[in-house]
Amino acid sequence: MSGPLMNVEDLRVAYRAGRRKVEAVKGVSFEVGRGKCLGVVGESGSGKSSLARAVLGLEAEVSGRVEFDGQDVLSLKRAGRLAFRRRAQMVFQDPIGSLNPRMKAGAALAEVLRVHGLAKTRAEAAAQAAHWLETVGMDAAYAGRFPHELSGGQRQRVNLARALCVGAEFLVADEPVSALDVSVQAQILNLLKSLQENRGITWMLIGHDLAVMRHMADDVIVMKAGEVVERGPAADVLSRPAHPYTRELLASAPNVARALERRSRRGTV
Amino acid sequence: MKPADSNGRVKGGADAVLTASGLGVGFFPEGKARLEVVGEVDLCLRPGRTTALVGESGCGKSITAASLGGLLPRGMALDRGEIRWAAGAECRPGRGLAYVFQDPGECLDPVFTIGSQIREVLPKEERGGAGERMSALLRTVGFEDPARVLASYPHQLSGGMQQRAMLALALAGRPRVLVADEPTTALDVTVQAKILRLLAELQRQENLAVLLITHNLGVVAEIADEVHVMYAGRVVESGPVELLRNPRHPYVKGLLKALPRLDGADSRLEGIEGSVPPLGRRPAGCRFHPRCPLARAVCQEREPEMRRRGEEGAVACWACGEGGWA
Repeated sequence: MSGPLMNVEDLRVAYRAGRRKVEAVKGVSFEVGRGKCLGVVGESGSGKSSLARAVLGLEAEVSGRVEFDGQDVLSLKRAGRLAFRRRAQMVFQDPIGSLNPRMKAGAALAEVLRVHGLAKTRAEAAAQAAHWLETVGMDAAYAGRFPHELSGGQRQRVNLARALCVGAEFLVADEPVSALDVSVQAQILNLLKSLQENRGITWMLIGHDLAVMRHMADDVIVMKAGEVVERGPAADVLSRPAHPYTRELLASAPNVARALERRSRRGTV
Repeated sequence: MKPADSNGRVKGGADAVLTASGLGVGFFPEGKARLEVVGEVDLCLRPGRTTALVGESGCGKSITAASLGGLLPRGMALDRGEIRWAAGAECRPGRGLAYVFQDPGECLDPVFTIGSQIREVLPKEERGGAGERMSALLRTVGFEDPARVLASYPHQLSGGMQQRAMLALALAGRPRVLVADEPTTALDVTVQAKILRLLAELQRQENLAVLLITHNLGVVAEIADEVHVMYAGRVVESGPVELLRNPRHPYVKGLLKALPRLDGADSRLEGIEGSVPPLGRRPAGCRFHPRCPLARAVCQEREPEMRRRGEEGAVACWACGEGGWA
């Protein structure tokens, strides 16, 4: 198969509040190449999370075209949707909020495997769950732990395993590391990168941290108030931004090296 | 004559407003022995200076800040060390010491206007001419239309405006020390930059001693003068903010290396292996030794003390002190 894995044209997402209709995403187009990572940058209210949910068919009022591997996502029927869900999955920001507190890590994976008919027996599901935990860098023994017995980084690993275990090739991650501490964030970012390199996973990464984007994304789109204001290779957009809003974002991001240098020039350090 | 701030206090005094030495906070689970949450923390807050406490979650930075103003959660007590205030400083909560927290939406009362919430914390003798003082306060924190803001309810303001209102509320009691606990973490980056600028300006104008609590080293580099890096309840390295250019402690080095870079000159990040030990399972000896690439036998046995390095600050590490191997 050739061509981009995900192709989005003139996507619009709207929400209704009584009689009022608010458009959160106002006609966005982009494509994500196979094995690539597209970064979606924006602040709160930019529509980036609505966009993320819409491309997976999780929003109700959507217009435009979302094509996944040549297939129209928005008009999928029940069976087609289940197959699509196996190939395209979501990872959320809050690693504890997205796990059932009363379900052990292994059981959370086994449930997904059974729903998708990928494991017939309990033993089969357990064996596969163990395999996927190891894939994301966890000891298989963690299958017996409840979410509250895991650290933030481990929970996010379980979430990743749950998304991967059904055979996903396209992952949409909405701020996957912003709830994590710096030292753990680095471990998870390395994991995301190695999944892209070794398993050919295609990513759509939603976030506000430009340094994370620079590190992870091949291409980025910058969103503001539902529209794309700038797009291009991450290396270009984040080092020589053309749009004033991207420039403002870049100037606002706190950065250790840059701040120290600026202050030593001003003589305030 | 030296320049003075809006409260008539002389600027530029090098004397500390608040000095804390050997501060320790204990947690007392029912029927069990004391667990140490934070220990051996020395702080020296000076007017017109910003001191940052930085570290990952669970390092004890917020607990240290809360202990200064008597805001510790139930079951915890400040039971080691001492806090000294400069002579003449009024050290009642809300007067000498004021707090600004992470989530302004949570801290403001949704059923009262900003005006009535500020009026409530004004010192008694100022309630008479309250209107003028409140307008002046709101102008200080960057509002151009104080009358409208005073009449607004919190939900009518954006996150950044709510945090400005919180700052006005904190300044109403004319504090000497402002404790800002993750003041910009809940805000968007562009708004964060504005609030940080405001904080730096207020610190200068009002000659405040600011204690900044944050997990973000970038924020520290932007506005702090001095920094204390905490790990698992202890300060591991402290000194002027330039120490971030060339830190000594392996934990601080690791934290800086774990940050992705804006210039993209890194294909793989060097994280720190493992994770922060939870309270009650902190290791003996140096608390960082299980995760430390430099650890040797001595690190497992004895806890390193903070050792000064002249003007450059202090570090608690066996490997990088005198007679160390790094």
